Formats: sequence, C-alpha cells, structure tokens
Amino acid sequence: MPQQLSAKEQSLFRTVVRNYEDKQYKKGVKAADQILRKNPKHGDTLAMKALIMNSQGKTDEAFALAKVALQCDMKSHVCWHVYGLLYRAVKNFEEAIKAYKFALRLEPDSAQIQRDLALLQIQMRDYQGYIVSRRAMLTARSTLRQSWTALAVAHHLNGELAEAERVLTAYEDTLKHPPPKSDFENSEAVMYKNSLIAEQGDIPKALEHLESAGKYNLDKLAVLELRATYLAKLDRKEEAAKAYRALLDRNSEYKKYYDGLIEAMEIDPQDIKLRKAVYDGYAEKYPRCDAARRLPLDFLHGDDFQEAASGYIRRMLDKGVPSTFANLKHLYSDSSKKEVLPSLVQQYIDSDKSSANEEPKRNGDTSKGASAAYYFLAQHYNYYLSRDLDKAMEYIERAIELEPESVDFHMTKARIWKHYGDTQSASEVMEQARALDTRDRHINTKAAKYQLRNDDSEAAIKTMGLFTRAETVGGPLADLHDMQCVWFLTEDGQSYVRQGKIGLALKRFTSIYNIFDVWQEDQFDFHSFSLRKGQIRAYVEMMRWEDHLREHPFYSRAALSAVDVYIKIHDKPLMNGTNGVGNGDAEDAAERKKAAKKARKEAQKAERELAAKRAEPNKPTTPGSDDPKKKDDDPDGAKLAATTEPMNDAMKFLTPLLQFSPKSIDVQIAGFEVYIRRRKYLLALKCLLAAYALDKEHSKVHEQIVRFKLALDEDSEILPPKSAEVIKSEFTLLPAC
Amino acid sequence: MDIRLLQPSDIPHVQHANITNLPENYFMKYYLYHALSWPQLSYVAVDVSRPKKTPYDYPRIVGYVLAKMEEDPPDGVQHGHITSLSVMRTHRRLGIAEKLMRQSQKAMVETFGAQYVSLHVRVSNNAALRLYRDTLGFKNEKIEAKYYADGEDAYSMKLDLGFIREQIMDEQEAEEVDEGEPVGE
Amino acid sequence: TTGDIDEEVPIAAKSAEDRKAAAALSTLDNREDDSAGAKDVDQEAVRKAMERLGGAAEMNGKVAKKDETKVVKKAVKVDPADVTLLVEELELTKTKATDLLKAHDGDATKALKAYIAPAA
Repeated sequence: MPQQLSAKEQSLFRTVVRNYEDKQYKKGVKAADQILRKNPKHGDTLAMKALIMNSQGKTDEAFALAKVALQCDMKSHVCWHVYGLLYRAVKNFEEAIKAYKFALRLEPDSAQIQRDLALLQIQMRDYQGYIVSRRAMLTARSTLRQSWTALAVAHHLNGELAEAERVLTAYEDTLKHPPPKSDFENSEAVMYKNSLIAEQGDIPKALEHLESAGKYNLDKLAVLELRATYLAKLDRKEEAAKAYRALLDRNSEYKKYYDGLIEAMEIDPQDIKLRKAVYDGYAEKYPRCDAARRLPLDFLHGDDFQEAASGYIRRMLDKGVPSTFANLKHLYSDSSKKEVLPSLVQQYIDSDKSSANEEPKRNGDTSKGASAAYYFLAQHYNYYLSRDLDKAMEYIERAIELEPESVDFHMTKARIWKHYGDTQSASEVMEQARALDTRDRHINTKAAKYQLRNDDSEAAIKTMGLFTRAETVGGPLADLHDMQCVWFLTEDGQSYVRQGKIGLALKRFTSIYNIFDVWQEDQFDFHSFSLRKGQIRAYVEMMRWEDHLREHPFYSRAALSAVDVYIKIHDKPLMNGTNGVGNGDAEDAAERKKAAKKARKEAQKAERELAAKRAEPNKPTTPGSDDPKKKDDDPDGAKLAATTEPMNDAMKFLTPLLQFSPKSIDVQIAGFEVYIRRRKYLLALKCLLAAYALDKEHSKVHEQIVRFKLALDEDSEILPPKSAEVIKSEFTLLPAC
Repeated sequence: MDIRLLQPSDIPHVQHANITNLPENYFMKYYLYHALSWPQLSYVAVDVSRPKKTPYDYPRIVGYVLAKMEEDPPDGVQHGHITSLSVMRTHRRLGIAEKLMRQSQKAMVETFGAQYVSLHVRVSNNAALRLYRDTLGFKNEKIEAKYYADGEDAYSMKLDLGFIREQIMDEQEAEEVDEGEPVGE
Repeated sequence: TTGDIDEEVPIAAKSAEDRKAAAALSTLDNREDDSAGAKDVDQEAVRKAMERLGGAAEMNGKVAKKDETKVVKKAVKVDPADVTLLVEELELTKTKATDLLKAHDGDATKALKAYIAPAA
C-alpha cells in the first residue's frame, strides 16, 4: 500500500518536481529528504530523488534508489516514468521504452509520458510504435498542425507515402481559410507535401501542386529547382530549359544547373561547339563566374581544349589564384591533357606577359604572374600522376625566390618534403610557413598536422594551443575534444601508433568513437524541435543521414586504426597472459605488465565501491560528496591497452564498419583479420568473399585466401559439421588443390 | 567549385573547415540547429572535381557560410545573422566567400523577410573587413569590446537588404508581364 | 542556506559567441512552447478528419495484418539446435537467427550460405 502524503508534504513534493525542472538539484534532494524522513517508503518521492541524483551524475545510486521506489509503489506511473528516464539517460533505450510503456498503461492520459515514449521510439527507429504514439498524441491535440505533421512524418519514415500525404491533406481540409502567404509553417508544409507526391513518382501531380499551392512559396529556390526537375522529367524541354536558365541566373556556380540546361536543350552530346557555346554565354554574362570557364575543360579535346585551357590558365595566373592547380588536376586522368596543361603554364612563363608581373604582390601572400606559374609547376611535379620531386622542389624554390613571404608556397614546399618521405624537413618548412602568418589558423593547423606526421606530439599540441581557448580546463587537448576536432584526434592517435604508445592511440580512437555517439545522440532534441520550427524536409533529410552516420570516412579511418592496434595487441601477448609487446625490449614489457596490473586493481576497486554503494541505496546523500563531473580515470589509455580480450574490444569498432561501410575493401580485410583470430570461420569467410567481390586482384586478399586455407586445415576439428560443409562448398577461391 | 545549399550530411566537413580556419568553433549540434531551423540560409562551396577514393567519400567542403535568423530580435526587426564564414586557404581569391554570402542574403529576404543582415568580425581581420565593407557593402554599426574569447574586440556590422527586396519586386513584375503574354508554342 | 547554489549555475561561457551557442542549444528541448493555440481551424472539420483517419487506421491495421500473414504464410519448423548454431557461428541474436532460418525453410546450411554470400 503506497504511503499517502499530508497536504503540506504534497506541496513539498511539488517543490521537488519544480527544483528538478529548474535544475536546482541540491534543493530538490533536501526537500525530498524532508518528505522521506516522515514517509521513508513514499515511492514517488524516492523516484524523484533518484531522478535528481542522476542529474547530479550519481547514476548507479540513482538506479538503486529507483528500484527501491518501484518496490514501494509498483503501481505508480511516476516511478515507472523515472525508471524509464534513468534508462534513457544511460542510453539503454530498449529498457527505457519498456518502462515508459508501463507508465503509460498506468496513466494513459499523461501527455508527458506519451511524448517521452514517442521521442525514444523515433530515436530508435521503431516506426510502427512511433505511428501508434503519434496517433494518440494527435487524438489528444487534434487542432494543432504539428500533431498532424508529426503523424505524416511517422508514416513517411515508415515508407507509407500515400498515407503521409493523406494525413496532411486531412489537416488542410480542416482550415477555414487558406493561410496567408507569410505563414511560414504552412509554406513549408506545402513543400513537404510536394516532396511526398514526387517521392511517390507522380510527377505530373507534383508539378501541378507546385504550380498551384507552391506558386508563392517562401522557399523560392526549392520551387525553382523542383520545377526545373519536374519539367525535365516530363519532357517539357523548352520550359525546363527556361527554368534552368532562371536557376543559373541566381547561381552560376552549380554544375547541376548547367547539366540540366544542356540536357533540356537537347544538344547532341557529340556537338561540342554547341555545348561550349552555352558555357560561353554565361562566362560573358557573369565576368566573375568560374564554373562557366572551367567546366568545358572536362569535355573539350585537342585544339579546342588547348585554346580554352590556355585562356583559363592565363586568367587564373594573372589573378594569382592559389587553387588553379587544384581546380584542374582532375583532368590529369586524360594523358593528353596532362601534357598540355604544364606546357601552357610554361608558355605563360615564357611569354612577355609574365615578366611584367614579376614584382611581388602587396602583402607577399601568394603571387601573381610568374610566381603563380612556378607554383603551378611545383604542384604539377608534386602530384602523384606527374611526380618528379626534384623538379617540384626546383620550381617551388623559384616561386619562393620571387615571393619569400608567401605562406602558400612554403606549404607546398613542405608537401614536397612529405612526398620525399622526409617528415622532419616537411614539418620544419611548414613551421616556417606558420611563422609567416601567425594569425591565420589554417596554416597553424597544417603546421600541427605536419608535426604529428613527424611524431612530435608535444610540439603539435602546443601549436594547436595557439588557437584553442585558453581558459578551457584540461588545456588545448580538452578544448579539441570539446570542439569535436576529429582530424586532430585521429592524426594524434595514428602518430601514437607509430610511436608504439598503444594506450594513447586507443584513447584517441575511442574518443572518435564517442564523438560519433554524441553525433547520433544529437538528433534527439530535433524530433520535437523540428516540428515546432516546422522545417520538415530538413528534418527528414537529417534522419536519413543519421541512419548511416558511421559510414563517414571520419569514423572508418579511426575505427580501422583501432582495429589494427587491437590486432597487434592480440598477436604479441605478454608471457603473463596479458597483452603487450612480447618480444620488444624488456623494460617496455615490464612497464606494460605493471600498467596492466595497476589497471586491473583499479577496476576491481571501482567494482567494490560500486557494490558498496548499491548495498545502501536509501542513505541520504551528503551534498558535495562526489564530483558530479566524472574524472577521466584512464587519461593515458593504460587500461585500454591492458585489455585481456583485444579481439572482443576490436569488435566494438568493427561492427559499425561492417554494417555501414561493407563496400570498403579495407573494412572487409580488417574484418577477416579479426574473425580468423577469433576462429569465427564463417564470418571470416564472409569478409573474404566480400573483399574478393570488391577487388579480386588485391594482394592482401590473396594472402588471406591462403591463410584461410591453412587455418582450416589446422582447425578443422572444431568446426560444426554444417559449418564445415558450407565452408567447403563456398570457399572455392583457391585454385583446385 | 559548386556553390550550393548546405545539407545535414555536409556538417562534419563544415565543422572540419571551421576548426581548420577559424578560432571560433562549435559542436555539431549547433550546426544542426542552423541547418534544421533555417535550411535555406546556409551554403557550402564543394570541390566536385576531387576523384573519389572510397565508395563512402563525402563531398569535400572548401568554404561555407553558416547563417541564421535572429530569434526574437531585440529591435523587433526581422533580420539575418552570419554565424560563421570561412574559405580554405587553398581556395581563396576565387570569390567564393562573396558568392556564398550573396546566396544566403537573397534567401534571408525571400524566405524570412529579413530587413538587414548582421555579423561580427575581429577588428584586426583586414581581409574579412575588405570583403564585408568594400565588396558587400556592410557598414560598421559599433565596436563590441572583448567580444572574442581571447579578448579581441569585434566590429558589429550591418547590411541593409532593401536592394534585394527591390530586385525581387522587379523580378516579380517581369514575371507577371511574361505571363500576360499569349501562350504560344 | 543558499550557499550551495553556485554548483548549479552552468559554467559561464567564455565569449559572446559561446554564450549565443549555449543559449540557442538550451532552448532545443523546450517543452513549453508547443502549446500555442490552434489557428483558424474548423473544429467540426477536425472531428470529421479524425473520424476518417480512425477509419483508415483500422483499415490499414487490417491491410498490415494481411501482409504479415502473407510473410509468415507457412509455419516453418525451426530446430533449436540450428538456432544455437547460427547464434554461435554468425553472432546473431536469437531472434535474427530464427528469422534467418525461417526465411530459408529451416534449412541451416542454406541459411549459412545465404548469410555469407557477398551482397550483389
């Protein structure tokens, strides 16, 4: 039987809730304790106290207390709701959903619980559950557009496009008057509906809807783009061409628009002259436009190419545009263009024009004329398709001679050293470049990166520290973590791998893993926020992106490095059963052993403390006993490196790789390496077959085929008969033997 | 370099460009907040010619403008605000920053009825000042003392967007005249 | 008695830029402001729309069920030993292993083969 509170205590309880909402945690705990003194088994109060303690960072105690609360009052929706919120806080979303559902059964009319449940469901991509929740929420507040839009989005994400459209139409039918033009929420709802119609493939209807309902839409660019696309799809070429021209007049730097226009004009792809004329028109109309001058270089050949490229290069070198080479290097896949481009630059140097320009530019940064041309040639000879490093160095020196203060030229010189394999000189030159402009963070970033490539971690973080915020507790490294500076953490980790500092390396790669966790969690608030803002298309786009967030190269680069490190740990275990560098120098090994022992002890201690805390959950907490912010108890990654199960730890990084980047051969190769060590032969074979399908010439794949065969021969007795049979029939990559 | 709207999937690379180039950095959620509140206002410059290295290559962002509308403007006047703008050093002098700004400014007026756009710039940042003042026509509004974390002052700058409103009106008139013509093949 | 307040005040942002970002992000999960009144909605029309929606929902429920029955059409017998085999060899959850077996008529060999085949 749950305890009843007196009127005074009830009001105190409301204070606890308010304190929680206002984040006045200490006050809240105090008030809760006051209630609990007289009513030690009051479930709701215990639950609220647990919730507050969780916000103070005392997660384990909070859980224990929430369980006590439930034991006191199984039928309280507050207790169940809190239980769900705690699970949600530790990201155990499945258990959180269960608890919310229980709470909702006890209190079906609670908008709060329903809302919390719905948000978790969509975060977890439980579309069916989300539809049910959104329907209930719509029933509760059916006059609000948001409620309808939300249900439509639920259906949309579940792939029920027609139903989603129907829900939007149903709401439109309830409006007494058409909303004013300036009603942003309505304006976006129209565009959202239009996207639903188009996604169903009914282009004529989509166009009709766009031209009627969308005519004065506030998102003008979207209307123009969609109209052009629809007209093109409907073969209404003339109108489509006109639509693309309107887009180009807005923004002449977008390749897609030129492609659309040329297709709509029905120009024969062979008719190079006509195609070129289209671009020329825009080059003339917009003197500052780059795309119209650059894009024809993709399809022009022979003399036409020579002429156009010459014009382009002259223009760019005269202006001293530093990205001239970067803008053209994709043309190098064509061998004749690869010859023509540097010869044009050489001609530019030889012509009279350049000599007039030999003077350095005002602040000495990048160059004009001759120096820009030398700079181009240096980049040309530094590029992997046309590499001749000695020549590259010769040209960059000439450029630097003309402009000794140019940051860009020194940057390229450093890159040339990098390609020589001389990371030391590369880093030194980059540092010179940095000194030329100490207020520019870009060159500062490059200098730090080159220091890392030269495995000078300390200098690198010091360089970075010139631009991180000085006040951040924990220094530059903490600031770079806060600001999710993925590139630095990855490079730093990879440098530690080269230095053999495995703990620090794993530490950095793990922080990348955690950043991606945060990025996934970041979408949570937007499930409700976007509905309030009414920006539905952008929200749907974000959802689709988040669905495959971890395919990003930022993730795979760090994760592959981590998997590699774990494999190294596995392959060189220490004699005492823990990992480490087995046949490395003895001192190192001893140190590792010590670290492993220490880490184990610390873990045990933490475990004991935790258990002790759990044993006395109902003890009032003394304020200020714990630091609410958890301290990093493994700053050097010693615990990570001391793992006794490196292959299990590798799976944490590998699983998302295999799930989201299955078409990456590096991922499949890494997967094989882990699975074969774990003697998961079917899964190893799955990776091997996938790698083979991606690139059967890959040398690593061949090596793995042989190793797979050897491993099978040695280990055949552990295979279950059915697995052995499948492997026998599917592993046919080895020529008959 | 394509100039196009920012998409959510661009954000990791935009964040990368930002922390590579500028001292004022933000975590991803703040970028999402922009992209999901005013998806019409932020633009990126993309290096489209870069050959793909993996099947999961993301477009490389060489410049971006991150823009917003001021929520509950203190002066009651709808206006836009530039949160961050930068172009990779390797891609300067192509006019990318200017082109990004112009796209954003136009959308501020069209979609959100902005009267003006504001921004902050370090008093020592001459290159940026040249762009805002000389090329785009911003005016110095005031100096905000110690605006930046390192103690540097900021110029608070403004650009009246009336000229874009006029452009839009002209375009509309032209359109109406156009539609008045008899439809012929 | 309010000496403990300080801990609860968020750490001050370091610059105006940071303050702006923090302020914006703190409003993201605001629960209060979606209670804005309905504008210009015909209550009777809403009632009707809701009714239609309810009807459609029921209909949809039926359609969905029909689809489900189609998918599960015949009760496939699954050998628990095969489920264990798949869980162990392919590191799948029990549910997923069972589904995979069912999709291959309970034939473990077929299921294993299909699972390791490279995606098209």
